[in-house]
Amino acid sequence: MILESQLFQPFTDEPIAVTSESGEWIAPFELDLGPDELRRMYQDMLLGRAVDERMGRLQRQGKVSFAAPSGGHEGAQVGIAHAMRAGHDWLFPYYRDVTLPLAIGVPVVEFVAQAMGTAADPSRARQMPYHPSSKALNIFSAASPIASHIPPAAGCAISMKLRGTDQVTVCTFGDGSTSEGDWHAGVNFAGAQGAPIVFACQNNRYAISVGFEKQTGSDSIYTKAHAYGMPGYFVDGMDALASYYVMREAVQRARDGFGPALVELLVYRYGGHSTADDDSRYRPRAEVEAWRKRDPIARLRRFLTRKGLWDEAAEREAEAVVKAQVDDAIAQAQAAGDVALETMFEDVLAEVPERLVKQRSELLG
Amino acid sequence: MSTLEALVAAARPEAARVITFSQAVREALAEEMRRDERVFVIGEDVAEAGTPFKVLSGLVEEFGPGRVIDTPISEAGFTGLAVGAAMTGMRPVVDLMFGDFLTLVMDQLVNQAAKTHYMSGGKLRVPLVLRTTLGATRRSAAQHSQSLQAWVSHVPGLIVVTPSTPYDAKGLLKTAIRNDNPVVFFEDKMGYTDKGEVPEGDYAIPFGVADVKRPGEHVTLVATSSMVQVALKAADELARQGVSAEVVDPRTLFPLDKETLVASAKKTGHVIVIDEGYERYGVTAELAAVIADGAFYHLDAPVKRLGAMDVPVPFAPTLEDVTVPTPEVVVALTKRLLAGEA
Ligand SMILES: Cc1ncc(C[n+]2csc(CCOP(=O)(O)OP(=O)(O)O)c2C)c(N)n1
Ligand SMILES: [Mg+2]
Repeated sequence: MILESQLFQPFTDEPIAVTSESGEWIAPFELDLGPDELRRMYQDMLLGRAVDERMGRLQRQGKVSFAAPSGGHEGAQVGIAHAMRAGHDWLFPYYRDVTLPLAIGVPVVEFVAQAMGTAADPSRARQMPYHPSSKALNIFSAASPIASHIPPAAGCAISMKLRGTDQVTVCTFGDGSTSEGDWHAGVNFAGAQGAPIVFACQNNRYAISVGFEKQTGSDSIYTKAHAYGMPGYFVDGMDALASYYVMREAVQRARDGFGPALVELLVYRYGGHSTADDDSRYRPRAEVEAWRKRDPIARLRRFLTRKGLWDEAAEREAEAVVKAQVDDAIAQAQAAGDVALETMFEDVLAEVPERLVKQRSELLG
Repeated sequence: MSTLEALVAAARPEAARVITFSQAVREALAEEMRRDERVFVIGEDVAEAGTPFKVLSGLVEEFGPGRVIDTPISEAGFTGLAVGAAMTGMRPVVDLMFGDFLTLVMDQLVNQAAKTHYMSGGKLRVPLVLRTTLGATRRSAAQHSQSLQAWVSHVPGLIVVTPSTPYDAKGLLKTAIRNDNPVVFFEDKMGYTDKGEVPEGDYAIPFGVADVKRPGEHVTLVATSSMVQVALKAADELARQGVSAEVVDPRTLFPLDKETLVASAKKTGHVIVIDEGYERYGVTAELAAVIADGAFYHLDAPVKRLGAMDVPVPFAPTLEDVTVPTPEVVVALTKRLLAGEA
């Protein structure tokens, strides 16, 4: 279904960009974001990057057991976040989403406490790091088994349709995830049901060590949308504003009852797959360096600077704010201390079953 | 290798080296791949990465990407693919990164691999090996820490192997690869760096033969996979307290060496069965039933079981560590059992 008001065509050969590498506006339509919104996007990316870097450091210090570097994904993630109605729409993220949940409104302290498994973690220290969830913000927990969140996301969207709400579900994942049966089941279902959902693929061309050519015989992900009866958009995910505008259109389309879409955002992860991964075994350094030069944060900064919305002083101030925010969150998360042992026995079922009552009393005396 | 280890190794040329569990697995695979060109490895991140646990490092360099095959992220896909390849003359060794992903391959494993031989009237065989992991305490939480060996042990048509030492891992993996049936081979992810003596060159350990890891008189600790080291540590502590514990490792859950388990139970009269999976409807339930059945009139007390608590594995270390049996828990239960209080 093609809408009158649409800015973008699906199934383009080239990735959609609205700014050039040097930060010029190159889209054939007018920018309609105000200075505050633009600056907020930029600050959200700075925060995402700062959290990412600090978590990596905490992992190396043994204070966090696992971290999934997300540097290079911030542009796509901030675009996705700002295209959603935070706390109204549902988000089904994946473990590499850092900027995304933070930009939706997950407090930094919750993100950090979740990763550290302290008592300040709303999910009660039960999930792996980088799997924050929020009932208040309609954020489902990332799945450790790749793509197992895709059918639940489609189900959430179908529920929205059945209940007649004006919510949209947004579901993110990596390129590797698209090989799972669950991915196809979920996307197919959404297509068949015309469910209000946007599938957003952050394609960094690797699944741990496995390159994109081994992942699929197709040379792209967005083209797969065609077979499931939905539009597929191909976006330069290093362009935060392109990510935002395409996602905004896809989300609006879903909200207006025109069904699902698949958006492929081309990104790169600068770091290893996780803190345990030595990516030099499978990725040439020159490739990493080439992508770093296309950094989404630097690109948006150039754009803002050109428009007179940002300068050195603003940068210094924003960095100081973000650093204080992260320092404070880590201190708070740590100060909360360990979760109490007895909490472990709750929530397996709605009531604590007899066997667990017995195991609890054996453990706690 | 320490100087002492080197001296020990030099004195015993047959058991020439001390290597890790993961080296033992890799060595078995490499030797079988050299011996039999039908053997190939398939799974996620098995080639350049050599798996996230670095178990397969170096294999792709020797055997090439045609025999060490990186797959798309599609566990059901590559397990089913292995069924098709096994059935038509190949010997696939499937690498399933986390045991939790058994959930994803169950259809191919249970409805295809386990039944093709039977449903084809014995005409088609499925000689595949599926290697996967079990074990908690890696801080990987509920969806990456499960020990699901009970699930596959329930299914006729599958062989289930649970090595606990580098020596057993190498010898049992060779048997698994040469076996004409589908074999599920569990490796304790926390035990990959455990070291032990492993002979160079070829040897195979038959299925269905338990191993007495430590002889004893007063109590039998039947332990599987990750729990063997826990039982041995408990036995050390019990020895200091004057209790002699026998530690028996079934090594394969199916086929099961009932005789060795029952004989040990008859000898000591007290048995605790320990497995890292859940107790309820679990491996420990089956082993306890087999022992109770075979040694009932020789037992001085009911057979006791230890397994994971009935909770999804939580993330916080303080929580996670108490969900699985520890040497302290085994020691305490043993003392209560021997005192007639369990
Ligand atoms: C079902 C399942 N299979 C395998 C894994 C191991 N694993 C974790 S992340 C990952 C790669 C995912 O790649 P992609 O979807 O491209 O996301 P990226 O990490 O590149 O952002 C793999 C194979 C897993 N967690 N779950
Ligand atoms: Mg990827």
